[in-house]
Amino acid sequence: MTSITLTLKNTPNVPLETEVLTPDRLAGLAHDEIRALPVFLGKRQLRLDDLFDIEGERSDELQIFGATRQLKSIGRGMTRGRIAIHGHAGMHLGAGMRGGSIEVHGDAGDWLGAEMAGGLIQVHGNAGGQVGAAYRGSMSGMQNGTIVVDGSAGIEVGTRMRRGIIVIKGPARDFTGLEMKGGTIFLLSGAEQRVGAWMRRGTIVSMLPLQMLPTFAFACSYHPDFMRLLARYLSQLGIDIPHEPQDGPYDLYSGDASIPGKGEILVWRSGLSE
Amino acid sequence: MAAQLGGKVSCTLGEVKNRADFIVYWGSNPADCHPRHLSRYTIAQKGRFLPRGRKDRTVVVVDVRETKTSNPADVFLQIRPGKDFEVLTTLRALVKGQPVNPQLVAETGVTVEQLQDLVDRMKRARFGVMFFGMGLTMTRGKHMNSMAILTLATEMNAFTKFVAMPMRGHGNVTGADVVMRWTTSYPFAINFSRGYPRYNPGEFSTVDLLVRGDVDAALVLGADPGATMPMPAINRLAGIPTIVLDPKVTHTSRLARVHITTATTGISAPGTSYRMDEVPLTLRPPLRSPYPTDEEVVRRIHQAVARKPDWLTAHSGTSPIAQA
Amino acid sequence: MLRITGGRVYDPANGINGVIKDVCIADGRVVADVTDGRTIDATGLVVFPGGVDVHTHVAGGSVNFARGMTPEDHRRAAAFVRSQSLRSGIGGMTPTTFATGYLYAGMGWTTVNEAAVPILFAKHTHEELRDIPIVDKCSMILMANNEILLDLLEAGEHERARHLVAWQIWASKAYGIKAVNPGGVVSWKWGKNSSQLSSPIEGYRNVTPGTIVSGLARIVDELGLPHPLHLHCNNLGAPGNVSTTIETMKLLEGHRAHMAHLQYHAYGGDDWHTMCSATPKVAEYFNAHPNLTADAGAVLFGDTVTITADGPWQHLLYKLTGRKWGNLDVENETGCGIVPYSYRPNNLVNAVQWAVGLELMLLIDDPWRLHLTTDHPNGACFWRYPEIIQLLMNADFRKDCLKSLTPHARERIFLPDITREYTLYEIAIITSAGPARALALPQKGQLGVGADADLVIYHEDKDVAKMFSHPRYVIKAGEVVVEEGEIRNVVEGRPFLVQTTYDPDIEGYLRPFFESYYTMSFENYPVEMSRLEKAEVFECKRAK
Repeated sequence: MTSITLTLKNTPNVPLETEVLTPDRLAGLAHDEIRALPVFLGKRQLRLDDLFDIEGERSDELQIFGATRQLKSIGRGMTRGRIAIHGHAGMHLGAGMRGGSIEVHGDAGDWLGAEMAGGLIQVHGNAGGQVGAAYRGSMSGMQNGTIVVDGSAGIEVGTRMRRGIIVIKGPARDFTGLEMKGGTIFLLSGAEQRVGAWMRRGTIVSMLPLQMLPTFAFACSYHPDFMRLLARYLSQLGIDIPHEPQDGPYDLYSGDASIPGKGEILVWRSGLSE
Repeated sequence: MAAQLGGKVSCTLGEVKNRADFIVYWGSNPADCHPRHLSRYTIAQKGRFLPRGRKDRTVVVVDVRETKTSNPADVFLQIRPGKDFEVLTTLRALVKGQPVNPQLVAETGVTVEQLQDLVDRMKRARFGVMFFGMGLTMTRGKHMNSMAILTLATEMNAFTKFVAMPMRGHGNVTGADVVMRWTTSYPFAINFSRGYPRYNPGEFSTVDLLVRGDVDAALVLGADPGATMPMPAINRLAGIPTIVLDPKVTHTSRLARVHITTATTGISAPGTSYRMDEVPLTLRPPLRSPYPTDEEVVRRIHQAVARKPDWLTAHSGTSPIAQA
Repeated sequence: MLRITGGRVYDPANGINGVIKDVCIADGRVVADVTDGRTIDATGLVVFPGGVDVHTHVAGGSVNFARGMTPEDHRRAAAFVRSQSLRSGIGGMTPTTFATGYLYAGMGWTTVNEAAVPILFAKHTHEELRDIPIVDKCSMILMANNEILLDLLEAGEHERARHLVAWQIWASKAYGIKAVNPGGVVSWKWGKNSSQLSSPIEGYRNVTPGTIVSGLARIVDELGLPHPLHLHCNNLGAPGNVSTTIETMKLLEGHRAHMAHLQYHAYGGDDWHTMCSATPKVAEYFNAHPNLTADAGAVLFGDTVTITADGPWQHLLYKLTGRKWGNLDVENETGCGIVPYSYRPNNLVNAVQWAVGLELMLLIDDPWRLHLTTDHPNGACFWRYPEIIQLLMNADFRKDCLKSLTPHARERIFLPDITREYTLYEIAIITSAGPARALALPQKGQLGVGADADLVIYHEDKDVAKMFSHPRYVIKAGEVVVEEGEIRNVVEGRPFLVQTTYDPDIEGYLRPFFESYYTMSFENYPVEMSRLEKAEVFECKRAK
């Protein structure tokens, strides 16, 4: 089964809503049926082939090319298959996805993997805000799955997340792990401020020192056992996490006392000197 | 938006006038910005249960600098700019008797002792109110700052009666919020492009749409974004067909393609205005205007648009996609 | 002109029980005969008078507060896409105004009563009601925590209190008065509650919840208001509140009263762990006292948002759920609270609540006095009424549903032993004829000559829920609004209000209070008649 390739013909001047672009939707369709799928350019409903050159059919692997920064909601709610975006992606990429994988060879917009419940998203560029977050008013963000961002991320990464793993290799902005309820966030280059604000449970691991809120208390310095487990999983994604005793201990801060919550922020001690 | 995240515990201004023996102004300077607020509703007023007026009330001001409002306050807490969220979060912990880190608290510009004193006073109050302004809502943290103060007021109800209320800006901004909610269920940042209301602040809010260049036309009603929005947004407004309805010449009307002069609501056009506590007030115009009302202009625009083919059901013909 | 021919007609107000007959309509009313015009062949179909909702929360400050607080619900709710004739909107727990009209009409309901209006927000309520299409509507103002009234009761000035209430009703263009947790909201303004009927409320020496209830019931009867005192008792939702409810009903002997959402007031037990159904006690008392009407306030499992003027209860619910809490105290008058909530079958309290609503409807003998409601959106959303009808009409279905409850919960309720099944005739009473009579709207809830031509035509189906949620036709004021399950034609509904008479001197008494304790001028307080379009004004019948 070869993949379906979609190449955007021109750069849209307003956002293009492409939530139809999921393996679930396309896998069973013949070429002509795919061409006729609806997309929304601003307020206008158009056919997919009005905007894209399309090759292939009946595949759960999508390859998307072109100036795709304005494409919103690619892979929304997908449960299987693969999407590769050879360019930038717009907002809501993989939001609510339950399975399958997405790889972006560029940047991704806000709400990347928001409220997702399973699957893997890898972004080789930067991500916007609200990665794996809850939409406004929702009680839960990401419920499971993995998001890896090679570059930086915006504000409110992992807001209200319950389970799953988020790795941000570049710096993250404010409110990472806001009101977190579970799951794990790795910050390989630290974050700006207010990390773990109002967190109830869950774990934030930072390789660089963090500006802590006054409502977090230093508990101890130790070698967490679970780090070995997580490191093994992450190494499959090409991410190295210090986890051996010789790598040095982590400082554990607990909070947020304003809730009062039982969240944990682990800061790698050796990161202090680097 | 903060109310959507955790709720909001509030009241009408008359409750403040009659009952509030403890009043906090946070990042808000009503003495300059809402000049009648202090005399009508709060500090100077005698209330049903506060017969001695000012003597029966404790007034606290939290701000980054001294203001005309902070001068007569009983307590003034000067915090460092951008530290509101840290201070509010610390207060939430202290209210619950939880420990905080004194060194990190001190970085906010106030001490744990000062904040503990504030918490003790708040708990002793019979009816506390926290008013908050743009000094809180438009600084780093924005909606989370608002949520922090709303949550603090909410949690204080485990000890005594407490409410919080934003000091909203000029004009009938509350009215727009109220009407949008009953027609669309969302207060602002609403997108109708799919034929039904969708909401996502940051995605569909005006300033974000303009800055990203997601819109190719604008209708501005009862606002002057040309004076208040960031430059990239203003540049976008100037670059696309912008229509302004306004009684007077504004920064926005100067850069607009079309400016329709309308009657001034409340002075020469009737209507309903919603006060910042959402109490509706009838506007009775004392004057008449040669210009049409905003409502009339919008209705006529709508009628003209309705004569065009319906874009929701229109067959997709040639692709109207523009070149970059 | 319109003739509906061949349908099996259920018109309980006129004693018509499933008789095949024609219904003729001209100029928006039922007439004896028509000579031409359209004919709808209703052969094999069932004809009901349009539904009447005696107690719902669909418009005004508190509902709008709830809308603003719950975007997570709107995102998963039914979206109403704009068309050439329909406005866009959102369904869900608190539908937008236009969607509210479409949803009610789409289900065959044509009259609704907005049951909680703070006078200070009455203009807002009327603005929203005007934006609810198709259905006719009336509203009740909140009086049982109005401090001007309480001051008068404290001083024993009953006469003046009556003039005040009459003035307030006309000032707010309302149809009746609602009492919510009498005195409790006043206490709440100091962070307290009023749970004892005979204990003075916070800040008063003589006034107790009991004196407010009996005082207001007397005033309503003296004024001859069409609808009796609409009462939300003290201790809503609390385990063991059945004693408060029965004591309250005893206080009302000799007066008319409508007990709102009775389900929330019929619990035994001492706390959340021992809570149980106490419906037999309530039903027994209620059955023996024809001065009372009630609505069910039934609960269905699922997500909703609770909206009530009962501030202290909402604070408790917030503490129990740990979710969002909205509260708005309204100066000198009332308050309101908003808490999103999910009713779950495996939760003991929720299971008891679900059973209690159904038990009341099955144990109260006279369907004319008990009306179908969910206290929308508190117990469930109004658009889920067909699910309740199914539970009432089908004992086997009820039995299946009981299986989802824990054995622990099944021991706390009486529902498993009840075999009664409602007939279509009885359904027509609890959804239409009964509430229309309780609201004293003679032109509603019936299909006799002269009645408003509001009716609904169902395709009879074993799947009762499907039958009642997808009417074949809905006709409002003689216009075919729904055809083949689709809204084809939108008409405007009309507001109903009551013209009261009062001593004009009451304004002189009120003005100084206003100037001291309100924050708007006295002249700005009343709702102008010009805000209401095509209002129908009812006269009071002076009973005494």
